[in-house]
Amino acid sequence: MAKFKGVREAFAAALTDLVVEGKDVYGVFPDSLSAMRAISFGEKYPERYVECGIAEQCAVDVAAGMATTGAIPFVGSYSGFLTMRAGEQMRTFVGYTDLNVKFAGFNAGCMGGEREGVTHQFYEDLAFVSSLPNFKILTPADGNQMYKAVKLAAELKGPVYLRGGSGKEPTVFPEDAPFSLDGITVCKDYGSDAVILSTGHVLDRVIAAADQLKEKGINVTAADINILYGDNPAKILEVMAKTELVVTVEDHNINGGLGSYISRLATENRPVKVKRIALEDYSESGPAKELGDKEGFSPENIAAVVAKCLGK
Amino acid sequence: METAALQKIARRVRFEAVRMIYEGKEGHPGPALSCADIVATLYFDVMNINPDEPDWEDRDRFILSKGHGCPIWYATLNERGYLKPKVEHFHLRELGSIFQGHPSMHSGVPGIDMTTGSLGNGIAIGAGMAYAAKVHKKDYYTYVICGDGEMQEGVTWEGVNMAKGRGLDNLVVFVDNNGWQSYKTIEFTIGQNNMADRFRAFGWHTQEINGHDVEQIKAAVLIAKKTPGSPHAIICRTIKGRGLSYMENNNKWHKGVPTEEQWAITQTELGGE
Repeated sequence: MAKFKGVREAFAAALTDLVVEGKDVYGVFPDSLSAMRAISFGEKYPERYVECGIAEQCAVDVAAGMATTGAIPFVGSYSGFLTMRAGEQMRTFVGYTDLNVKFAGFNAGCMGGEREGVTHQFYEDLAFVSSLPNFKILTPADGNQMYKAVKLAAELKGPVYLRGGSGKEPTVFPEDAPFSLDGITVCKDYGSDAVILSTGHVLDRVIAAADQLKEKGINVTAADINILYGDNPAKILEVMAKTELVVTVEDHNINGGLGSYISRLATENRPVKVKRIALEDYSESGPAKELGDKEGFSPENIAAVVAKCLGK
Repeated sequence: METAALQKIARRVRFEAVRMIYEGKEGHPGPALSCADIVATLYFDVMNINPDEPDWEDRDRFILSKGHGCPIWYATLNERGYLKPKVEHFHLRELGSIFQGHPSMHSGVPGIDMTTGSLGNGIAIGAGMAYAAKVHKKDYYTYVICGDGEMQEGVTWEGVNMAKGRGLDNLVVFVDNNGWQSYKTIEFTIGQNNMADRFRAFGWHTQEINGHDVEQIKAAVLIAKKTPGSPHAIICRTIKGRGLSYMENNNKWHKGVPTEEQWAITQTELGGE
């Protein structure tokens, strides 16, 4: 297994290992090879590196054409350039056609784009992709999970959207932890006062909040949701069933992502209060940690929101 | 195939395309008729295909990037033997019909290599197919028919760049250069209609032909196949609505349905053998 650190290197490492395993995979890049930390992949396998120029719509179309021949293309770029600039191509030529194209969208969230600012931070991708039938949405929390998510995506038939941030996110999962096919991994199980559900790179903050709450006598369960809008949410419902308060935390707009998904599960299955911690406005440039804290993702704020919802 | 036989087939599929629009009471007859000779020549002479095995992995690929012209494609697939049994009434655009308003690769029509209809995407998708042929060591060609109006879509030129950059000389793009788009002429819309100059400027091997002359279409493909190194553009001068006196060069027929009187004219001008 190739060595990697963070979600971007993990993506490139998994793609490399898939080639070694004999899979007919390709990296389709709209001048994003460097940003995807995939230069070694391109140098090692020049035929598997499909350069499309700074042209995301073209990259998605090229991948769709390739997929009709049995190839498994992974389009790697920034999440918003894929889902917004090339959104129609993703919808019509991959979703509607149900072709075997995989998308790896990085710079997701304010912390994903951090110092680059709003033009390179994307908090709308999940709202769009979750409205596309046939797409599966995988939201790995760190590099170890991303590596496994890419490997899983290659096995899944049909379109897959992988969401990643900057590549500098903290590593939370051990290397040997599986990518949960249940769509949920419970990270802390201190009790049922509340269930805090996290998706993506805010997981370390959610776990820290759970620890802080425990010290205050509020015992919560903290879990990572790694598959959004999946076919089988039974395990997620099982975890939600033990509480009267669910708090969702995501580096995405408050509409269309984890909070919307969990609200839907709650209203359709077992009504429970759902409080959403997410972005409600465009963010700004800044180092990831300070920016995340400012946008409400500090462990202290997450803990405070949970305590307030519980009336404590 | 002999020229006279190809011309006869082109006439036949023109009639069938207009018939399905007349019966279905909706569709784009003008854009269908302008590319009829290209589609017929590809399916009955140029392309290496097997209607009994539409998904044959070594087949030549075809994309109708101007998907709204699909009645001519449906009619040609039917004449070529893809539909079994042969379709008598297409029920174009009707609820439950396999013949969707724009072509779908999963609606049940055999031989549709790619869903189209959203303009501008055919070249980039074709480039993907052509790239896959190269890396899979296959010798099939990918043929794309674009409208001249859809060349206004930016993604078209993204695909043109990519195909040139990757040296996809197994990609052949026909531009159905009828000079019209939905509202008015290409010249009115963007001030010029210099398709060949544009493709040459992007480094493509470019030819200009009469898109209603099946001999010229065949010859242009042969020249393209003998010219390695770059993708190929064949700019086809065409007439929108070609083949029907009341439709030719009349943009009212971009989308429309013949009246009973016009249907009678259609039967006279295109019907019979």
